[in-house]
Amino acid sequence: MENNKGISRRQFLEGLAVSTSGIALGLPSLSEGAVTPIYAKLVDTQKCIGCKRCMSACKRWNKLKIDRAEDLTDRETELTGNTWVVVNLKSDAKNREDLTYIHWACQHCEKPACAGACPVSAIKKYPEGPVVIDEKKCIGCKYCIMSCPYNVPQFDSKNRITRKCTMCYDRVLRRIAPACVAACPVGALDFGPKKEILKKAKDRTEQINGYLLGEHEAGGTNMLTILKTKPEDLGLIVAAKEIINKDLDKARISFSGFSGAATAVAMLYLYSIFGKGE
Amino acid sequence: MERIFQEINRSPYFSIWISLLVALIALGAYGVLLSLFVGMDVFKFHHALPWTIKISTYIFFVGSCTGISMITSLGHIFGVKRFEIIGKRAALLALITVNVGMVSILLHLGHPERSYYFFLTPNIRSAIWGMSQFYTVAIPFIIVELWFLMRSDMARIANNSTGYKQLIYSLAVLGQRDTSHESVERDHKWAMRAAVIALVFELAAFSTLGTIFGHTQAKAYWYGTYFPLFFLLTAAYSGIAWLIGIIIVTYHFQKKDMANELKKLIFEMANIFAVLLSVSLLFILYKVSVGLFDPNQSGAIMLMLKGNFSLSFWAFEITLGTLIPIALILYSLKRQWLWGLVAASVMALIGLFLTRYDFLITGQAFPYFRYSSLDTVLPTLVESLVVGGIFGAFFLVYTLAVKFLPIDEKTH
Repeated sequence: MENNKGISRRQFLEGLAVSTSGIALGLPSLSEGAVTPIYAKLVDTQKCIGCKRCMSACKRWNKLKIDRAEDLTDRETELTGNTWVVVNLKSDAKNREDLTYIHWACQHCEKPACAGACPVSAIKKYPEGPVVIDEKKCIGCKYCIMSCPYNVPQFDSKNRITRKCTMCYDRVLRRIAPACVAACPVGALDFGPKKEILKKAKDRTEQINGYLLGEHEAGGTNMLTILKTKPEDLGLIVAAKEIINKDLDKARISFSGFSGAATAVAMLYLYSIFGKGE
Repeated sequence: MERIFQEINRSPYFSIWISLLVALIALGAYGVLLSLFVGMDVFKFHHALPWTIKISTYIFFVGSCTGISMITSLGHIFGVKRFEIIGKRAALLALITVNVGMVSILLHLGHPERSYYFFLTPNIRSAIWGMSQFYTVAIPFIIVELWFLMRSDMARIANNSTGYKQLIYSLAVLGQRDTSHESVERDHKWAMRAAVIALVFELAAFSTLGTIFGHTQAKAYWYGTYFPLFFLLTAAYSGIAWLIGIIIVTYHFQKKDMANELKKLIFEMANIFAVLLSVSLLFILYKVSVGLFDPNQSGAIMLMLKGNFSLSFWAFEITLGTLIPIALILYSLKRQWLWGLVAASVMALIGLFLTRYDFLITGQAFPYFRYSSLDTVLPTLVESLVVGGIFGAFFLVYTLAVKFLPIDEKTH
């Protein structure tokens, strides 16, 4: 962990206070280098027992309404505006008796399509990794829902805004792990600096001869999921690995639209000259 | 108001028409109130399909506005004199359609009152932001264009009236009651300038509306350059359909004789209509062919060819919306039959309305529904009432506008 040379006395005292609590919680502090640490969440589906404590913890921490009978069954549960984490029992398409609990939430993409789509900049990708919707700014257009390759954001009909997992950004800011990670009784969920989490994830994936979801999908995500088999075999939506350069791609498509409009004008002009009316 | 009551006394059809429209609007308002007090769940038919019929209604109406402006630009902008005669009615229709479309999209938003964030914290990479800015410029210029086109006629009415009527029309012309030839020429010049700006921004807005869908890499059926271009094409023929249908029906119910030059213009527009419908058929064929071989799009295509949307696609989009109108137009052109053109226009518009809806739902359905089933494809009853109210508002505003505004075609 590097210290910057020549840090001020104020920076030193701030760093001392934060790093003491950060080190106690096992998370790197701001004083360790001037770079904001990037965090990631890890889901090890092979350890998950389907207790759904993570779902309850998420609801409690984020003060989410219970919008259906929250009984502990293995019935398929969907993400909603008030359910930001789900744990569903999936079977392997190649071997139906092979069942796995999948903890699913926002994947917190490195280059979130939702943030690029929001017309009022209500969605922000924080340097630490979380992708967060500003609920006071959201106009409820639902374009983020359309743009998300995983169909994660959901519309909350009562509050008339789109909502989703924030990776408990308020906790992350205080260097505390998200509520779901803290609640997991069997260590199926982990949280920490992305480099360390990624290494852990790769090692574990190799160990079980599985598949690591999130390393490349959607251009890379800050939520990594260790699966026993390919995601499509488990009925999970698979985002494209290669995200075409978003801004250039958008410019290309917008240009084609404007070219179409220009062509229409040109055809009108030609008609005005050559159109006889008979 | 007095004029409306006179009309009601004179014609029972008018009173039935107005009553029907008011009833539609009332039911629509009921739907909106339900969504405010009960929650927007009343519009939801599946949580994975958040964009529903209000979005497709919006696209339908604003596309019609763009199409109308494209056709009438031949008169005001490109100087084709024979198109000038429908300029006022077209500008009025363009204004009504775009505003009705805006009502539809505002009712879709969860918090339309937060729209000021479009200006405070804009995201210029968002196609929705771009579209909103273009329409913000286009709509005032459509109003300006319409005002300049009607100013001299409203001034004439003000000059020949007394009392409240004179006051209202004087206010409408902002005190500009000059009806000299020079003032009319000046009005036409300013109308043309406003029309140019309105057309440029309308085209930019509607092509950007297409790119809203074109930008979504997550929805393979929508992604790419196809829909921005297809939208513009269908907008053009929807504009012609509205103009032909509205003009003929209005003249019929107003019991006015249609001048020969107007009839000739309608048949000319019908020619263009048939060509554009044929081209749209080629576009659909292209999309279906390419989509069937793309595993990411084939699901959506199959929904339309064989799945839940097959009836809507084959019966309405292809047959009723394209093939029958082409045949009817060709027949009507040969027989110089105006009502055939009305029927073709109505069918094409119904087909297009359903095309917009089918495109919206099938595009959202995949990849989500690859692993699930699409039980129903119909919007909720409440949302249907709201859309009915929107259509009611469109026709009511048009009906009242033709009563009070001097938009009749002036032919030689």
